Amino acid sequence: MKENQRRIFLKAITSIPILGGAVMAASALIRYFKPTTVGGVKGLVAPPDEAGSSVQIVAALSELTQPWDFKEFIYIRKSVEYSSRKIQGAKIPGFVVRLPDEFTDPKDPKSRFVVVQRICPHLGCTFNFVKSPEELSGGYNYKPPMPTHPYFACPCHLSVYDPTRKTEVNLQGPLPGKVVSGPAPRPPRTMSFDIKDGQILITGTEGGGVG
Amino acid sequence: MVKAIPYLIRGLAGAPGTFLKWFQERWTKMELFDEGRTQQARTNPWYTLGGMWYWVWMLVILSGVVLMVYYVPVTDQAYHSIERIQHNWRWGPLPIGSLVRGLHKYGADAFIILATLRVYRMWFTGEYKQGNEFTFIIALLLLIIGMYSGLTGYLLIWNQRALWATKVMATFPTYLDQNPGWLPGGDFINWTNQGKTTAQILLGGTSIGPATVTRFYAFHFMLSFIPMIFFELRVYRRGFKRMNISHWAKLAVFGVILAIAIMIPAAQGSPANPEVTPNPILSDWYFLAMYHFLKLQDPYLATVLTVAIPFLVLGSMFLDRRPEREWGKRQIFNWIGIGGLIYFIVFSFLILNGIADLHRDAPLWYFSMGGFLLAGYLQDWAYVMRRDQKRWWETFHIFFVAFILVSMSANTLYHYFGDIREWNVLGQAEMPKVLARLQQANPLATPDMAFEWLEKNRPALNLWFTSKKGPGKPPGMELWLVHVVAWLGIIASGIVIGLGRWGRRKEAEEQAALAKAKPRAAGA
Repeated sequence: MKENQRRIFLKAITSIPILGGAVMAASALIRYFKPTTVGGVKGLVAPPDEAGSSVQIVAALSELTQPWDFKEFIYIRKSVEYSSRKIQGAKIPGFVVRLPDEFTDPKDPKSRFVVVQRICPHLGCTFNFVKSPEELSGGYNYKPPMPTHPYFACPCHLSVYDPTRKTEVNLQGPLPGKVVSGPAPRPPRTMSFDIKDGQILITGTEGGGVG
Repeated sequence: MVKAIPYLIRGLAGAPGTFLKWFQERWTKMELFDEGRTQQARTNPWYTLGGMWYWVWMLVILSGVVLMVYYVPVTDQAYHSIERIQHNWRWGPLPIGSLVRGLHKYGADAFIILATLRVYRMWFTGEYKQGNEFTFIIALLLLIIGMYSGLTGYLLIWNQRALWATKVMATFPTYLDQNPGWLPGGDFINWTNQGKTTAQILLGGTSIGPATVTRFYAFHFMLSFIPMIFFELRVYRRGFKRMNISHWAKLAVFGVILAIAIMIPAAQGSPANPEVTPNPILSDWYFLAMYHFLKLQDPYLATVLTVAIPFLVLGSMFLDRRPEREWGKRQIFNWIGIGGLIYFIVFSFLILNGIADLHRDAPLWYFSMGGFLLAGYLQDWAYVMRRDQKRWWETFHIFFVAFILVSMSANTLYHYFGDIREWNVLGQAEMPKVLARLQQANPLATPDMAFEWLEKNRPALNLWFTSKKGPGKPPGMELWLVHVVAWLGIIASGIVIGLGRWGRRKEAEEQAALAKAKPRAAGA
């Protein structure tokens, strides 16, 4: 009995370095599969690399004069590519929507526009700007209250966002696009923008999500 | 409880040896493709599933290797290379490319169907008992690997469905970084970026692009080949026959798949376009139920549950401790299987017809889940009463039933009344006044907006039970907490009482053994 216990103890002791080696090998393997520019063990827990963003003109104010005028655009977000090219451009689709005056702050010209990324924060599909209530209730399972207005609606899991209303998001303050139907956990991701010389410029995008 | 402690310590000290023995026993008994069931396979077609599964796997690998010759794994050429394979590669009137592709695609579908049927056969006949646990675990793992292989495979076509399915699949794990702050250790897990790391490992970057196609190509190949290599090594070392079916059966399976490939040439869809998501957009058939499940849940919960489902199945397998394998003698586990099948079929039907309502449907599913378990339990209770000749209260598992009832009621309450603002009498009285005022400024104001105003400006009304509702805290969280506390209480009391019984039984066994040993010692 005692003999047996001693053997078990010795086996347990020798298994420690073996297990340690296995863990190290596994971490090296994960490190091989996970592309980052952060070196060493730190790279295991580092978030994805975000490369710098650039300022891009996406719309002119003359295109968005009437309430509920909108424009789809593509913003090129640069990110790191793990090849000899070093950098790749990920296309981030976006929406700029002109709100009717009753939803805006007359002192703040930026509040007339809602600028969001078209990537659904639920599971990453590209959502649409839906104007007709019939389409909303037929295709997206949401019956808007009357009198109605257009909504953002995602075809994958039928989340519907109300561009006129805001929701408080952790660390970011109120964001436009309150979820009124479907499983989305938060309003669409935002883009920071400026209005200059009658044009709308995108200056940066909120990270996270899959492009 | 106290009496159990020395037995627990003794058990833990011997744990490595016990585990090794347990493992070796199951490792030798393991049957990956029913290879030892040749006799049964002759009379019972359910036991040919394993052999057919292996055969279909071989067909898929072979046709896949042939397809590799012409496939180009680059985003802007992939779709066209498939088109060329489908249409241009012919021999006289024979569309070889289309047939090989059909064989690969429908073979993969057959793989999933056979694997699922086999898992169900093992579940319903209790085949995982008597030391066959590993066979079942590996069958389930291979089914999951097969589904994942399907997912990585159909992105290679680079069509719309594949692109969006991949996007959904890759966004999934990012929710693992959004553990709520009140969860112990939640912030630490968020800090390690496990979810984003997983997504990055899958995609080879932060978005679906050329790196993703290369990776998926590699994964698709690896997932098929590596398990096969291990199986072949086992065959080599033990020298058994791989398939328990006749050559005619193999030919029939091949013929059926080929016939389908001729009748319905494999579809290709439209080329992937990251800027447009078509409506409706659906995944491959075996993910449809899962896809519907996503609609009914908060995404964080959905992610956790999706990862948890296979583990729950495996866990419940280990709970089935009785040796009985007959249908009528293990009703709880039968009902778990039947329930899973029903959800799979009904969810697939619902998503194909676009029926989903988060507030109306989800509680129905929770409720039916509890109903299946309760139905199974009641039948099982009746069986145990008959078997052991006992009175009804002697075999009634109050903790199990309480656990099901608490889960059912709490989930239902949460979904129907999670928005407890409607319950609040003061808030109800106040809301129309606020709404009228808001409507003066904004004709489109809704009751919801009035509630929001009240929440912000009249915290004393306590619209959410507590005034601590912060951003990111879902509504009705209090109900969830009550629910979790009740669960923990039930589980803890069950453990305490169960351990107490176990300790007393062990002690009695030991004393009986001593009493037996003593007279013999005296006699010697």
